[in-house]
Amino acid sequence: MSAADLARLQFAATTGIHWLFVILTMGLVPIVAIMHTRAAFTRDPAKAAVRERMTRFWGQLYLINYTVGIATGIVMEFQFGLSWSGLSKFAGNVFGAPLALETLIAFFAESTFLGMWIFGWGRLRRGVHVTLIWLVALTAYASAYWILVANGFMQQPVGYQVRDGAAYLTDFAALVTNPSALIALAHVTLAALTTGGVFVAGVSAYHFARDAKETDLFRGSLRLGVWVAMLASFFVIIVGDMQFPLLRRTQPMKIAAMDDSGVAQVQAQLLQQYGPGDYTLPGEWLRVSMDAMTIIGNTISTITLIAVILLWKDWLVRWRPLAWLMTAMIPFPFIASVGGWVFREVGRQPWLVYGELTVADALSHVSTAALAISCATFIAIFVALAVTNWTLITRLARRGPDATQLGALQPLAEDKQTVPAF
Amino acid sequence: MQTFWLALLGLLLSGYFVLGGYDLGVQLLHSFMKDRDAALGAMAPFFLGNEVWLVAFTGVLFGAFPHLEGSLLSGLYPLVVAILVGLVVGNTAVQLRRRTRRGRRWWQALIVAGGTLPAVCWGLVVGLLLHGVPRLADGSFHIGAGQVLTPFVLACGVSVALLFASHGAAFLALRSAPDLAVRARRAGTTLVGAAGAAAVLALVLTLLGVGASMTNPLTSAPLTGLLATALVAAWWSLSRGHRIRAFAATCCATVVPVLLVGAGQHPYVLATKAGAGLSVAEAAADGTTLQILTAFGVVLIPTILAYQAWSWWAFRARTASSYF
Repeated sequence: MSAADLARLQFAATTGIHWLFVILTMGLVPIVAIMHTRAAFTRDPAKAAVRERMTRFWGQLYLINYTVGIATGIVMEFQFGLSWSGLSKFAGNVFGAPLALETLIAFFAESTFLGMWIFGWGRLRRGVHVTLIWLVALTAYASAYWILVANGFMQQPVGYQVRDGAAYLTDFAALVTNPSALIALAHVTLAALTTGGVFVAGVSAYHFARDAKETDLFRGSLRLGVWVAMLASFFVIIVGDMQFPLLRRTQPMKIAAMDDSGVAQVQAQLLQQYGPGDYTLPGEWLRVSMDAMTIIGNTISTITLIAVILLWKDWLVRWRPLAWLMTAMIPFPFIASVGGWVFREVGRQPWLVYGELTVADALSHVSTAALAISCATFIAIFVALAVTNWTLITRLARRGPDATQLGALQPLAEDKQTVPAF
Repeated sequence: MQTFWLALLGLLLSGYFVLGGYDLGVQLLHSFMKDRDAALGAMAPFFLGNEVWLVAFTGVLFGAFPHLEGSLLSGLYPLVVAILVGLVVGNTAVQLRRRTRRGRRWWQALIVAGGTLPAVCWGLVVGLLLHGVPRLADGSFHIGAGQVLTPFVLACGVSVALLFASHGAAFLALRSAPDLAVRARRAGTTLVGAAGAAAVLALVLTLLGVGASMTNPLTSAPLTGLLATALVAAWWSLSRGHRIRAFAATCCATVVPVLLVGAGQHPYVLATKAGAGLSVAEAAADGTTLQILTAFGVVLIPTILAYQAWSWWAFRARTASSYF
């Protein structure tokens, strides 16, 4: 493998795995925030206790996933400089700003507030505690926004001017309102909520299928999960389709290669536009990923629509095969979201910044040996993390709320006298 | 404006060295502490908020100094990869250790490795940046074994790792229950001494001409003095049981490496040797970009400092190790 292949494999594998964590994190956090809010504002103590238990159980599932998401996310922040220093050389003036703002506006707050939320049970006032999880949810989506502004610039560069071989930011407003970023944000948001909703509904249904003891708790989360998944999956398809007119304009080869029509014509047009080069794309990759999204999206949308109706009198979980069907749906949004990611990024090739900088030109001068070692190491660690993540999530999801550790305070004897530390 | 962003970059990295530094230190000491749950519990509420300083540093590095970002990270490739591997493994292990019933030993090994590897590599990076890196005509550079395995760079690696370890010990002495605190205090006293010894070695090598080549010796000398004072103060306070003073002293000591690289080599952000290298002006983003970033920065930085301070205040009391 050449250095370029290794660097691409490293980026694709690490980002792809990171993305699987991200989409569940984004999907679960608003659901956990809703649960926490309901728990905090329920008057009836028995009901409030069930809802708080619900929040802690789903909160811990969310946290396990967040842990690996944030750990892999640290690597993401460094990747551009490590293997793609040509990007900062060419587009640093433009591309760096959204990344810097993402860390300062969103990520800093998300992590700090989440740390406070985890350890705030029984320690912070209820209103403050609930506000914290909403701030975490808000900043998670703010994070997604800034990352997509950076990614949108790669897909469809706007608001810049090239002088002496480097891009300069000329229109910040255009950069942050790039349609390639905004529509993608809407699509990704809905995809994440679908993933989170299906996950919550599927795990809840599992407990009904296995004769759950905590029916009140799981009835509540099942309802919330099914409703979120139904609404989100309905709109995710619509917003997904809204991107086609834009793509036809900005990335014509993507559509031509997927439909396998007019590839030669687009190639000729791109040759004229950007000079010699091979601008064709692997149509099979694009078709498979698009089909995965379409089929999975439509199926989930249909099933959850029926499921919402069947929520009445618990019909959905009374008949076991139906409950199992809900559980079996859990992996599919992830498959679809990987499809979406492949479609977006494979379809951008051979460009790193569309029309301006090719992937090959952006590669750092790093030795092939160093790349091979780092590539193998990162992939091994990331796969191990994915396996750990899903093993731990599955285990806790099956054991149920009894196994929750989040918010279970075990004050030490000497802890009653508070020791000032800072 | 470039100076403002350089100062901000320095603030973020200093913040990481102080806050992430004690995380790494506590991880390093993990096997030696009897009550391991309590040791991790002491840093638990701040753990997520501490790591962010590094990510923010990288974000700002890319946003405000893109030309430094590209050549620095790719030039230090093996070390940066090692740091990242250590952080990923360590972070996950710290947070997931209590999610399983079995395999505690594995998690422990990963926690210690995830503290040691980044701590040593940060020291090596500091050593390389103080010594100067071999930049090529196109601005890129690659470090290899020849640059890393020099007495000075290795001394810096050991020194910074020991510094983080003693900082972690001072943090545990401050925040844990009496038993653990006494143990941490004793370990801390020894570690501060060892860190000092390694730092003295690095200083001697520099005086012999095979160590750091500083652009501003006049700034570097008082900074070295500050490090020496902080270490002596830390040692003295730890051995007398002044826990707050000891922690304040190790905080000062962990910031010095960042200040040495930043102020000692100013105006170069990536020195090849004393008085040469990539200057702040060459590294910085275009004026328009910096202007926009500044508009956000003046609001964001105070906000960030405020909510971080709030989180320290809210969890000032010792925590029961209830989750990590």
